Amino acid sequence: MALGSFTADDLFEWLTGQNDFLLLDVRNDVEFDRFKVEGPYPVDMVNVPYMEFIEMEDESVARVPQDKKVRIVCAKEGSSKYVGEILVNHGYTDVAHMKVGIKAWGNLLSPILLAKREGYQLYQFRRPGKASCSYGLVSGKEMMVFDPAKNFKFYLDFAKKNGCTITKTFETHRQADYISGSNMLRHSAAVEIVAPEDDFKEAKFPYTSARHGEIHRFGSDGPEVEIIHTPGHTPGSTCYLIDGKYLITGDTVFIQSIGRPDLGGMVEEWSQMLFQTMTDILLNLDPDTIILPGHYMEWDEADENLIFAATMGKIKEHNAEIYNIDDEKVFFDFIQANMRPQPEEYAKIREINAGLVEIDEEQQEIMDIGKNECAATMR
Amino acid sequence: MNQEIKVRKTLDLKGLACPMPVVKISKGIKEVEVGEVIEAHTTDPGSLTDVPAWGRTTGHDIVDTRQDGEVIYFFIRRTS
Repeated sequence: MALGSFTADDLFEWLTGQNDFLLLDVRNDVEFDRFKVEGPYPVDMVNVPYMEFIEMEDESVARVPQDKKVRIVCAKEGSSKYVGEILVNHGYTDVAHMKVGIKAWGNLLSPILLAKREGYQLYQFRRPGKASCSYGLVSGKEMMVFDPAKNFKFYLDFAKKNGCTITKTFETHRQADYISGSNMLRHSAAVEIVAPEDDFKEAKFPYTSARHGEIHRFGSDGPEVEIIHTPGHTPGSTCYLIDGKYLITGDTVFIQSIGRPDLGGMVEEWSQMLFQTMTDILLNLDPDTIILPGHYMEWDEADENLIFAATMGKIKEHNAEIYNIDDEKVFFDFIQANMRPQPEEYAKIREINAGLVEIDEEQQEIMDIGKNECAATMR
Repeated sequence: MNQEIKVRKTLDLKGLACPMPVVKISKGIKEVEVGEVIEAHTTDPGSLTDVPAWGRTTGHDIVDTRQDGEVIYFFIRRTS
């Protein structure tokens, strides 16, 4: 039987639908260890690097069970095709390789409707390759996007399909772990970028400063988007409260843990800010406020519909070891005790996200791939 | 590193995408004697980690790696 092919969207559908298949990752062990496919349910996955198929064909083939569908991923498609052909020649009957390669998985965005209310719909765009979430708020013929990833064409297509145009993007902070799509959307669709000045003052592109307490709205009867400054993860970190109910928190509040304040090399100052934010703002939020985080650590944080959202009350309870700390010094000690190195590309991504440096698409792909490292604590 | 590496064979693999650079290196190394060095020029950024991974798999020694613009130069000694 001939070698088939599939897309990253197909893979996501199989992973969330609990389909039975073997995921064969043929990238080298270093790349595999750095970043691998994850889903909400256990993935039957094996890593046999393609160079082993080149050098030891029979032994490598023997490591692939014959009684399962085999779905192959590699860095850029070529090697998965190469290995797929070998398996087909060895009599495997259901083999397919992923088009484009692992970067397609890294860039994949999967939309899910969070809320449909009078006058608006709110969507979560899950990015399983980064373990991150961006959001879309649609009202009438307009859409606002929060923390877009660099796969900006996805948002444009999504808006088009929903009969609207993107008018604004909101940045919760200057991201260090992924390349933002805001400036790309500004270039291609002339959107207005709303971003906190404390993080973006050196930015080389125009933006509207996100001022604490200000409200953005659609036309006349759309929902309100209120700006709430929550410094700590970065000095500019900002949350956006939609319709008084849904709080887009970026890297400030997570379902598991809290945003780490040590990525900027000023852990003592930023940790103080975060403690202040926690005690003055987060603990005073209505416990029924629905938190929409910028990241998740693991899929088990998702609810039964595979949505990443939880009430502030639940989050406080779940992270009591953090939210119960009532002393700044103890909080700082806690942060320090959990600190770990950050990926080396973060400094460069931060510069890219302010438009200070420009790099080509291939470099962007390499830099942007991999799961985020934004939480203060690990499991 | 040492300029005095004596290269027995040079493979021009520029423009090739994976898996071809490793396929050609795998073939090329077999065409020299044990102890001799081949040089391979690639442009696929993936080869930066793939060629060393291939070296770990086969035991051949990646004696030097240099980069000049987008071209990557590997110097590989056949060990067995």
